[in-house]
Amino acid sequence: MGKTCWTRRELGGGVALLAAVVGMPAVVAMLSKDDGSETPSDRQRAMIRDVSQLVIPRTATPGAGDVGVGDFVILALAHGLDKSRVPIARDTAPATASAYLRIDGSLRHLDWLEAELDRAANGDWLGKPDARRAAILERFDAEAFAAKDHPWKTVKGLILTGYYTSETGGSRELRYELTPGRFDPAVPLKPGARAYSSDWTAVDFG
Amino acid sequence: MAEMQFDAIVVGSGITGGWAAKELTEAGLKVLMLERGPMIAHQTGYVNETKAPWDMPFRGVGDAEKYARDYPVQRGNRHFTEFTEPHFVNDAENPYATEGDTAFNWYRSYNLGGRSLTWGRQSYRWSDYDFDANRRDGNGTDWPIRYADISPWYDKVEEFIGVSGAAEGLAQLPDGRFQPPMALNVVEQAVREKISARWPERRLTIGRTANLTEAKDGRGECQRRSICARGCSYGAYFSTQSSTLPAAQKTGNLTLVTDAVVEKIDYDPATRRVTGVRWIDGKTKARGQAGARMVFLNAGAFNSVHLLLNSGSDTMPNGLANSSGVLGTHIMDHASTLSAIALFPGFEQWTTFGNRPTGIVIPRFRNLDAIDGAGHNRGFSFQGGALQSGWTRGKREPGIGAAYKDSLQPPGMWRMVLVAFADCVPRATNRITLDPKRTDANGLPILKVDFAFGAEEHAALAQAKADAAEMLGHAGGKVIMGFERPNPGGSAIHEMGGARMGADPATSVLNKWSQAHDVANLFVTDGAQMSSSACQNPSLTYMALTARAAGHAVELLKEGVI
Repeated sequence: MGKTCWTRRELGGGVALLAAVVGMPAVVAMLSKDDGSETPSDRQRAMIRDVSQLVIPRTATPGAGDVGVGDFVILALAHGLDKSRVPIARDTAPATASAYLRIDGSLRHLDWLEAELDRAANGDWLGKPDARRAAILERFDAEAFAAKDHPWKTVKGLILTGYYTSETGGSRELRYELTPGRFDPAVPLKPGARAYSSDWTAVDFG
Repeated sequence: MAEMQFDAIVVGSGITGGWAAKELTEAGLKVLMLERGPMIAHQTGYVNETKAPWDMPFRGVGDAEKYARDYPVQRGNRHFTEFTEPHFVNDAENPYATEGDTAFNWYRSYNLGGRSLTWGRQSYRWSDYDFDANRRDGNGTDWPIRYADISPWYDKVEEFIGVSGAAEGLAQLPDGRFQPPMALNVVEQAVREKISARWPERRLTIGRTANLTEAKDGRGECQRRSICARGCSYGAYFSTQSSTLPAAQKTGNLTLVTDAVVEKIDYDPATRRVTGVRWIDGKTKARGQAGARMVFLNAGAFNSVHLLLNSGSDTMPNGLANSSGVLGTHIMDHASTLSAIALFPGFEQWTTFGNRPTGIVIPRFRNLDAIDGAGHNRGFSFQGGALQSGWTRGKREPGIGAAYKDSLQPPGMWRMVLVAFADCVPRATNRITLDPKRTDANGLPILKVDFAFGAEEHAALAQAKADAAEMLGHAGGKVIMGFERPNPGGSAIHEMGGARMGADPATSVLNKWSQAHDVANLFVTDGAQMSSSACQNPSLTYMALTARAAGHAVELLKEGVI
């Protein structure tokens, strides 16, 4: 079993981290909070992997958890992707978020999400059976998308980014063609057709 | 270094600097081209060109923490990504100031090729509606040229850089020497037909873009990747690296020095000529200098003005070539905003293949021969396009699990986007100056920007929003969003003016040859020379004016005038 010690400094140096964990999904991290940093706990790491897998499960192609998206989300949150390190909208965000704010008003998403899921599960969310975990997350997701601002939307967005920019999500679940060589302006869309993750306009504006 | 002597020095290697170097070297002049940033070699220098998102540390999205710290302005550029980051300036290392409540996004590329690597490639001729705009409404100063003066130079530039586009016969957007156009997609074609049927004077056409649809001059055809800003090893879009630099180097007359931040232009009051330039090596901080019989400023509109302001002397205390006192004033940028997004049901059975590196344009249709604008009397035009949503739509939708995953697999709903670009009235109060207090890492005063849009631009964008919604609605779209408030100045990346052209030396910096009224061997041929903004992308006009000025400079040199 490989071991990686995550420190705040390593989270800051995301290049090495991502190469280490995403390139080798089986690697297990040994996590510590010895420096008082926001290094995620083992439990949080397992949780976000599982959450990722529930959002994008294994079908004909691997799921998000399978391809290391949980670790991508940890990295992305540490580096503020998708505005995850800006102050949250306190007047419209769920009241439960207020206990997990940093001094700058931004949210510690993993701490908050862990508590939210446990609360919804009346205990240890991770310890519940598959169907129960999925049902809780599905209800949680529905409530979040019914609200104006909800931090779950940020986490879910990062899960999607992590998956569809992975080689599996980008080139097996979807199609990837860096060099199309031509532009066809009107192509009949057949049932079951997969979109191109290399449609950069769609990624930017879609 | 003191003995370095050239026929001409070109400051800047971007869109116009490359053209100045090409034209002057091809005329037989020995030319020194100075670039403030590092070398980026064609092909081998495009380090992220062919990488996939999963090859990138932050999946192409980039390290938001780093961007907030080092690229707080550049990160707002739609072409700025983790792939293209090396082609943009580090804001933290290259600060600028703003006056009062000015919000101004100054997008910059300090590297060989400048913004020619990252530009949007839209290439439009200006018409006499544009060159006559200042005379007609009394704002700014009248252009000393008209379309007939520049038309042959547009021909020359288009034929060299390669512009694909469709001829439409519109007086307000003259046709050029085009390569075959790229195609409108299935939705855009339908919208074009609906709009033309209802409003014959409004024409949706494919964007005229400096991407090759036919190979030429050793450059390959566009591969429909639409990742141009990463750099293109096919040389399929116009950049300094792909086009003008090889042409200039082929003459054997070009000397290129990178990492050379020009701090001052030397001026001899006895002859009333500039004699050369001085620079600081951006890496080593070593000093350099060279002499020349003429200087072309192509540092980008604001930096060319900065250099003139910083080159004052006892005889020209307010800046070089600034006897008029207007240097730095009347800066402009197109007022831009997202006028409308509309969903387009009814096309679910269609998709496209390939990535077309241009959108559509709806040329100006207001305030042409008759003034029909509500609260404004210049123009606006639209750019945009129809597209299908991709996996990112999942970020807006509830759902988890296999069904949700499956729902994100096919292309999504068609939508169409129209972004307005409105003419910016030239105003004396919109200006750039040297900050009296702050200096940069090279000890040079930083630039201060004082800029605001006025009532005309706000009125134009309000009308643009209404017109966009009306057109898309008529064409079958369901408008879901639209804005009329202009984005901050600079957002169109068409900042221009500051050393305007005019007939009167008392009220303008440059004459009709882009030549300083005060200094006969000094030319400013980038965006700084612009007297008005029009509402179409300006780079093609900068190039044409550069070629024209270079031709004139060579004639003057041969005649012994300079």
